[in-house]
Amino acid sequence: MSCVCPLAFLSAGTEATITEIRAGKGMRLRLTGMGLCPETRVKVQCANRGSLIVSVGDARYALSRGMATKILVRGTQEAA
Amino acid sequence: MTKQIRIALAGNPNVGKTTLFNAITGARQHVGNWPGVTVEKKTGRVSHNGYEIEVVDLPGTYSLTAYSADEVVARDFILEEKPDVVVQVVDATNMERNLYLTTQLSELRSPVVIALNMADMAEARGDAIDRDRLSAFLEMPVVRTVGTRKDGISSLLDAVIEEAETSPHHEHTIGYGDDAERMIASLVGVLETDQSLAARYPLRWLAVKLLEGDEDVLARIQEGPAAGRVQNILSSIDTDGYEATMADKRYEAIAAILPQVRTVNTRSMNSSDIIDRVVTDRYLGIPIFLALMWGAFELTFTVASPFVTAIDTAIAWLAEAVAGSIEPAWLASLLGDGIIGGVGAVLVFIPNIFILFLILSILEDTGYLARAAFVMDRPMHALGLPGKSFIPMLIGFGCNVPAIMATRTIEGEKDRLLTILINPFISCSARLPVYVLFAGAFFGQQAAGGVVFFLYVLGIVVAIASAKLFRSTILPGESSPFIMEMPPYRIPTALTSLIHMWDKGSMYIRKAGTIILFGAVVVWVLASFPYGVEYGSAESLAGSLGHLIEPLVAPLGFDWKVSVALIFGFLAKEIVVGSLGVLYGTGEESLSSALLADPNLSAATALALMVFVLIYTPCLATLGVIKKETGSWKWTGFSVAYGLIAAWILAFIVGHLAGIFSGGM
Repeated sequence: MSCVCPLAFLSAGTEATITEIRAGKGMRLRLTGMGLCPETRVKVQCANRGSLIVSVGDARYALSRGMATKILVRGTQEAA
Repeated sequence: MTKQIRIALAGNPNVGKTTLFNAITGARQHVGNWPGVTVEKKTGRVSHNGYEIEVVDLPGTYSLTAYSADEVVARDFILEEKPDVVVQVVDATNMERNLYLTTQLSELRSPVVIALNMADMAEARGDAIDRDRLSAFLEMPVVRTVGTRKDGISSLLDAVIEEAETSPHHEHTIGYGDDAERMIASLVGVLETDQSLAARYPLRWLAVKLLEGDEDVLARIQEGPAAGRVQNILSSIDTDGYEATMADKRYEAIAAILPQVRTVNTRSMNSSDIIDRVVTDRYLGIPIFLALMWGAFELTFTVASPFVTAIDTAIAWLAEAVAGSIEPAWLASLLGDGIIGGVGAVLVFIPNIFILFLILSILEDTGYLARAAFVMDRPMHALGLPGKSFIPMLIGFGCNVPAIMATRTIEGEKDRLLTILINPFISCSARLPVYVLFAGAFFGQQAAGGVVFFLYVLGIVVAIASAKLFRSTILPGESSPFIMEMPPYRIPTALTSLIHMWDKGSMYIRKAGTIILFGAVVVWVLASFPYGVEYGSAESLAGSLGHLIEPLVAPLGFDWKVSVALIFGFLAKEIVVGSLGVLYGTGEESLSSALLADPNLSAATALALMVFVLIYTPCLATLGVIKKETGSWKWTGFSVAYGLIAAWILAFIVGHLAGIFSGGM
């Protein structure tokens, strides 16, 4: 699958690759520092109607729905 | 003569920086298992091998941009104060992201030492890290530490001293690729013309930041002679593009190093994930949270109960012994009625306070409370609050003062103000003695835990309803999106939880010896004068004062004694209990039976009083911190007025409803 959609649409147990972060510079830099930048693979651990817990490498983050809507991903697939 | 060294502890949030700081300096700074506990830098000292080392604990940051207050604090400290060595605390279980900060720190020119912390946890899950190779790649010393067990502190300090002494000046920088490097070189060339700038800052770092479009750095060079030519260069390029490229290069460099220094044990879904699935479940999440809170207050009440009775008996005995043996009578009254009656009434509840703190400490140390913030995000969002503001609310259960300080991690200014204004409604531990006293006296052992739980929930409801109200009136807007790190679940050791409990609980004892003692003595003086009146009678100064405001609170069913207690409760809410202890005197019966015997007090009045104490004016210390954090007397005054009005209305409603059910107030 190659369609691009917001991270907020993903359900628990799926993985995807970040393509773009639609946020202001400050937030983009902050996310980069946290390891959330284009071309990184994220895995959705829990999904609660738009709010998510995702893992990136060994880190786990809780994202509000608003934040998860600003992060676009592609290549969604069920995690092994 | 001993030599002085200054070091700074930097690192990502929640990597155990504060634990390591405590292990190094022997301090007892509060450690939390959630990000953002250290919002201000703290300093401590340690002597090692003839060196006097000053240690500065910086706020945790993911990077060193200029876009958030805590990152600016960290970066300015390293740039302007130029510590001899920067120790970056790296979470060994989360190397990739931690090393991103390393790539930025290494450009700031201070020597860096890596403390590979939580090494035991990485080893426990089967990861092997080759520290020598990592050190060779980074060109900085790497020391294995386990902050919680104080492992590796001595070697870390050895490495720090060696770096400070030799101060090796290697430029271990990331290569950003030909195009970016060309731009950096030309910017450095221009910046060199500004002598004062070149003396103060590492030029390559300035160039990198300018290329990223860092506004703070741009402002710093604005006055200098290089400003014009820098602007020329920058106006012709796309800084956003460079920012992305350089971030990529940093991660690429890390990705190139990591496989060579670390062998990762392949892991399947770990237990953290399984627990998360359950406790953050969309249907189960909130019920689990409420059940845990209810259990916490139930335990606070039942487990503490026998200890409370024992202390109560001991204090009553002491008061009687003093009253019977000391001359002159006024001194016996000051000691017996004033100090023992007032401070003693507060000290009785030490067991409750300690048990509540123990339970909250355990919940926090395991990492659960951070999940609670996630679970509450949806309801909070619906009310226009970011889920992140739930953490200050949870801290508020202990004390509102650190809770309001913790709002600094909230990005939006309106979000932050909103979170500050609603925080006083979160029932802090100082209010617990009032509940335990009145719920215990008027509702009996069986129902008291439930009443206390009701008050805590009411506090949350008032906070949330106020947020909703403020959002739709004085602070309109959407809550800003948030992202927060979820700490891994950790099994807290009995020792850390007990220390945690003691740190918070001992504050209560200290307060009893200071402000509460002061309040009790003032109330005793008011109750004893003018000379010749019957102690604690309506004719005393206290009586006049109480009668003065009694008309205002009479509709709530409060008499003059309660009025006096409420006035002094403004200093600290425990004083409500302390003042009643003074005014009722202790004598042969305990305070709770004295209250029960007062015809002016009923169960409904008691409930109204508890509601009033929950909501009315925050204590003096909280007002102080509100003023400090908002920087505005207007908002501080608003907080007082709003609290008083809300308290009056709700106490009236709750008291009268309870009166209807129980048959009159």
